[in-house]
Amino acid sequence: METLALQHYLAVGAILFGIGLIGFMSRRNLIVMFLCTELMFQGVAINLVAFGHFWGNFSGQAFTIMVLVIAAAEASLALGLVVLLFRQKNTLDADAWRELKG
Amino acid sequence: MLTMIFINAAVPAILNPLVVLVLCVFAGVATVLMLPGRKEASWAKVGGVVAVAVGLIFSALLVRYTATVSPDGMGIYFWVFSAIAIVSAIRVVTHARPVYAALYFVLTVMASAGLFVLLWAEFMAAALVIIYAGAILVTYVFVIMLASQAAPDAETIAGQADYDDVSRDPVVAASIGFALMGVLLFVIFDKAEGVIRPVKPLNIKVYVQDGSATPPIAAYDGSTQQLGQYLFNDQMVNLELASLILTISMVGAIVITRRRIVSTDFGDEFVETPEPETLHGPATPVNDNPHSIPVYGTKNPRVKAYPEM
Repeated sequence: METLALQHYLAVGAILFGIGLIGFMSRRNLIVMFLCTELMFQGVAINLVAFGHFWGNFSGQAFTIMVLVIAAAEASLALGLVVLLFRQKNTLDADAWRELKG
Repeated sequence: MLTMIFINAAVPAILNPLVVLVLCVFAGVATVLMLPGRKEASWAKVGGVVAVAVGLIFSALLVRYTATVSPDGMGIYFWVFSAIAIVSAIRVVTHARPVYAALYFVLTVMASAGLFVLLWAEFMAAALVIIYAGAILVTYVFVIMLASQAAPDAETIAGQADYDDVSRDPVVAASIGFALMGVLLFVIFDKAEGVIRPVKPLNIKVYVQDGSATPPIAAYDGSTQQLGQYLFNDQMVNLELASLILTISMVGAIVITRRRIVSTDFGDEFVETPEPETLHGPATPVNDNPHSIPVYGTKNPRVKAYPEM
């Protein structure tokens, strides 16, 4: 169990990050878009814990705790914003707010 | 010398960039086929088959790579956990229904917690399950239920909203995402020569090199205690900052979702208005008085009665 290299965990983290990026750009539901950001957080957390383990200190896990805190704060604020936007237009479509661009 | 450092100077280039590039192209095509859109359901199955084939080829190459980098045995757990994580992550992205996407995300979180256990981060694994799968996902599912119940006009015949069925620019998104993923994988596998191999687990103070003395498990005293000591000794400011961020986000979420929305037509001159204009939604309290919350229902408890919009 102790024989895997760092690259394996980094590869899993990179794949999760890429999949989350694809979902964030292609999905139109606001809630699913924020789920995909959580997926990207997962990839980053795996990277951080793997680096911390392979360097032999606890900085990676401390950073991961910070990532968890930011994810929780982001989830609460983003879902509050989603509820607010849903009240205004009665839809979860991200394209409904197209006039905000520019 | 407490830590042994192996420098892998000559790793044969099994995972050369061309192979990774081709695999990423095929995986991108498969993802485009699997993303929800206006096409037949059989194309999604084709995409799934292609994605599984690409994953199998990539994992086979990775197994060969592992056999050259660290030939002394490989655990099965890493492969199982990472396969579950990646497959369920793809299902999060490609599933048309948000509730199922959230449930597949729970599966991803569980598999990531398994990977954390493999990395001797037990506390992080438990925290991941409790916070992500327990708290954040419940919030997500709650908001999905709240928001998808009251939108009957935006649904099609299949009971599915249009913005869930048709994804936006799947080709562009898959191109950018898999380009990023391919570059990352290329850098990881091609430029990672001389990476430190995992000889020393985190919590073992003295590692005996000849292997004849006490086994390393005897010195293992759990990483949670040491993580706590590290956090409260060296990362005190970060810990306080984390609590501050959580408090601010809680207050901010309450402020954002409060009911009263004052229209901005008043301008700069502050006129005395007895009551600012408020927006009234269905079944929401008008003000802070709890007796103003309307109560709906019938005498028959088996019959649901919801207010007319």
